Amino acid sequence: MAKISFPYMGESVVAYKKIGHMLGHEVIEPPKPTQKTVDLGVKHAPEFACFPLKVLLGTYLEEIALGADLLMSSGGHGPCRAGYYGEMHRKILRSLGYEGHLIIFDAPRDHLRDFYQDLKRIKANNSWIYCYHVLKLVYRAIKIMDELEQKVSRLRAYEVKTGSVNRAWEQIQELVNQAFTLPQLEAAQKEGHNLLDSLEMIPVKEERKLRIGIIGEIYVVMENSTNMMMEQKLGELGCEVRRSQYLSDWIDFNLLPHWISHPHEAEIQKMGTKYFDIGIGGHARENMGWIDQFSNWGYDGIVHLLPFGCLPELMSQSIIPQVSKDLNLPIISFALDEQSGLANNLTRLEAFVDLIKAQKFGVKQHILQQKAAG
Amino acid sequence: MNIGIPQALLYYYYYPLWQPFLEQLGAKTIVSKPTDQDIIHQGSRVSVPEICVPIKVFNGHVNELLNKGVDYIFAPRMVQVEKGLTFCPKFLGLPDMLDYTFPAHKNQMLAPQIKGTNEWSVSSQDLQKEPFFAAFDKSRLEAAWQIGVKAWNRFREICRRGYLIPEALDLYQKPDLPKVKNQQGEIKIGLIGYVYDIYDKLVGMEICQRLQEMGADLSTFEMLQDKDIDRQIDPMKKSLFWTFSNKVFGAGLHFYQQPEIDGIIHVTAFGCGPDSLSGKMMELDAEKYGKPFMTVRVDEHSGESHLQTRIEAFTDMLKRRKRLRLIELGVRS
Ligand code: SF4
Ligand code: SF4
Repeated sequence: MAKISFPYMGESVVAYKKIGHMLGHEVIEPPKPTQKTVDLGVKHAPEFACFPLKVLLGTYLEEIALGADLLMSSGGHGPCRAGYYGEMHRKILRSLGYEGHLIIFDAPRDHLRDFYQDLKRIKANNSWIYCYHVLKLVYRAIKIMDELEQKVSRLRAYEVKTGSVNRAWEQIQELVNQAFTLPQLEAAQKEGHNLLDSLEMIPVKEERKLRIGIIGEIYVVMENSTNMMMEQKLGELGCEVRRSQYLSDWIDFNLLPHWISHPHEAEIQKMGTKYFDIGIGGHARENMGWIDQFSNWGYDGIVHLLPFGCLPELMSQSIIPQVSKDLNLPIISFALDEQSGLANNLTRLEAFVDLIKAQKFGVKQHILQQKAAG
Repeated sequence: MNIGIPQALLYYYYYPLWQPFLEQLGAKTIVSKPTDQDIIHQGSRVSVPEICVPIKVFNGHVNELLNKGVDYIFAPRMVQVEKGLTFCPKFLGLPDMLDYTFPAHKNQMLAPQIKGTNEWSVSSQDLQKEPFFAAFDKSRLEAAWQIGVKAWNRFREICRRGYLIPEALDLYQKPDLPKVKNQQGEIKIGLIGYVYDIYDKLVGMEICQRLQEMGADLSTFEMLQDKDIDRQIDPMKKSLFWTFSNKVFGAGLHFYQQPEIDGIIHVTAFGCGPDSLSGKMMELDAEKYGKPFMTVRVDEHSGESHLQTRIEAFTDMLKRRKRLRLIELGVRS
C-alpha cells in the first residue's frame, strides 16, 4: 500500500483523507500551508508562476519529506495555466530527484491508458463496488461539511466569545473525519448543528446584518491560509460571509451528470455570459455570474480574491469597476502572492467594510455605533 | 465608413488578412499610430495596473482611435486557429474587457469570434453575430475573407523567406515576392517572443535593429515552416494550450537544435502567464543543449540603455564563443 498524500485546499482535505483511509492506504496528512511551505514552493517554482502553483509545490515537497510516495491531484486542460500545473510540478519534482510520485487525474479522454493505470494504483485491491460506495459516502460528507461551513461563516459575525465558532468548526471537521458510515455521518451532521446552535450569539436585527460574498480564483478562495484568513477576518468585522466556491458545487458541476446534480453553478455560468461571452479560463465567467447572484440576494459587498498576475481574474478585475457602478455594489479586489503585505491589505479590508457600513446605515449612525463600541 | 485597427497585439501577424477583408466590405481602414509614450499613457489610464503591457498598449490604441472618431474598432475575439489549441485568456476575454473599459462605445466594437481549425476556415455565422457583418450575406463575407487570406499567405511566405515582420509588411503588396533574404552577420540569434512584444517600437525597444547593428542575423518563429515547429511540439505528452505560446516555444526548441544558431534571446512581458511556464522550460533546456539563452523582460518602464548593455554583452559573448569554436575546428586561427 502506498503512502498517499494530496494538495491542501480547504475542506477538500477531509474528502481526500477519507478516500485514502477507506481504500486502505496509509495517509500522510497534508500539512496546512504556512510561510515555510510558501518559501519552499517559491524556491523551486518558476519565478513568475502563479501563486497557487508555488504553494502546491511547497506542499508536495513537505509531504514527500513526511514520507509520502504517492501524491494525487487533478489536472485539467486549458485555457488557463492550471491545466499545466501537473506537468510543471512533475518536471520540477523530477529535477529534484522524485520520479513517479505525482499522479494527476486528467480527463480520461486525454490519456485513457494513463488514467486507468493511475486509477488502479489508487484503487489497490478493493472491488469497484466498494470504491463506488466510498465515493458516495465521501460525496455525502462533503455536502454535510459545506452545509455546516456556510453556517459557520454566517455565525462568526455574531459570536459573543471570540473564537468560539472557529473552535466549534474544528470539532465539526474532526467529527466528520471520524465518520465512516452513513449513520455515523448523519450523527456528525446533527451534532455539528447542535454544537453551533448552542453557542452564545449577539442578537442582531435582520436589517442590521451585513453580508459579503467572496469570489475569485478557486485555490485562494478555498484555502484560507493563502487569503489572509479572509472569511474569519470578515467575520470578526461583523460580516456574514458566503463564498462562490464550495467543494460540493465543484463536484456537482464538474464530475456528476447535470441531470442528476442540477448544479446551481450552471445557472451561475449562464448569468456570467452577460459579462464574458465565452469561458476564458479559471472561473472568471462564473465569478461574474456570482456578482449578479450576490447582488440579487441583496448582499452588501463583494471581496474579489486573485493570485497576483492571474490571467482570467485580471480580466474580471478589468471589468469589475464598471459592473460595481452599474449594480451599485461595492467590490474590492485583493491580489495575493508570497509578498502580499498583510498589514496593508487588512487596512484596506477594514476601510472597505467601514465604507459599506457607512453606506448602509448612514455615516452618523455608524460613528455613534463605533463610539458606543469603543 | 471607417474602421480603426489598433496597431497592437495580433495586428503584427494578421493585418495583411484583416485589412483587405474589411476593405472588400466597403470600409476604409485606419491604423493607429505606432506605440509611443502618449499611447502608453492612454492605455495605462484605463487598464488594471497589474495587467501585462501588451494589453495596456492595446487599450491605449483603442482609446487613441476612439478619440480620432473612427466609426468602428476591429478587435476580433481570437479563440482558435489550430485544432485543439486556443489563445491566452486575455485574448479570449478581450472584447468583454473593451465593452466595460469603454462603456460609451460598446456599439462601435467589431468583435467577431474567430474560431476555426486554421486561418482560412472562418465561420461566416460567427461573423454575422456582429450587426455590422450581418448586413452582408454569407458568400460575400467568405469571399472577402478569402481575399484577405490570399494577401496574408503572401505576407507569411515573405516571413518564411527570412524577413522580419516590419519588412514583410512593407513588401507583401509589391507585385513580386522578394528573394530569400541574404544574411551575412557574424553570428546568428534565434529571437523568440510574441510579435506584439518584439515588433512594438516602444515595448520591444527596436531590439531587432539593435541586434543587427551588432552584427547578428536573426531568426524568428514566423520565419519557420509550420512543420519545424510541430515537430518539436507533437512528441510532448501535454503541449501548452495556446497557439502563439506553442509557436514561440516550438521555435525555441527548434533553434536549440540548429547548429547555425549561436544563441537564443526570449523577449517576454512582465506578468505574462503562458511565458512563466514556457520561458522556464526553455531556460531549463539551455543546459541540455549547451546553447546560451537570455530572457529579456519588458514592460512600459523598461529602459533602453539597460537593454543595450545586456544584449551587447550577450552578442559579445556569442562572438567569442563562435571564434573559439572556429579555431577549434581549424577554420580560423
Ligand atoms: S486561473 Fe489564475 S491562478 Fe489559476 S492557473 Fe490561471 S492564472 Fe494561474
Ligand atoms: S500571452 Fe502573455 S503577453 Fe500575451 S496577452 Fe497573454 S499574458 Fe499578455
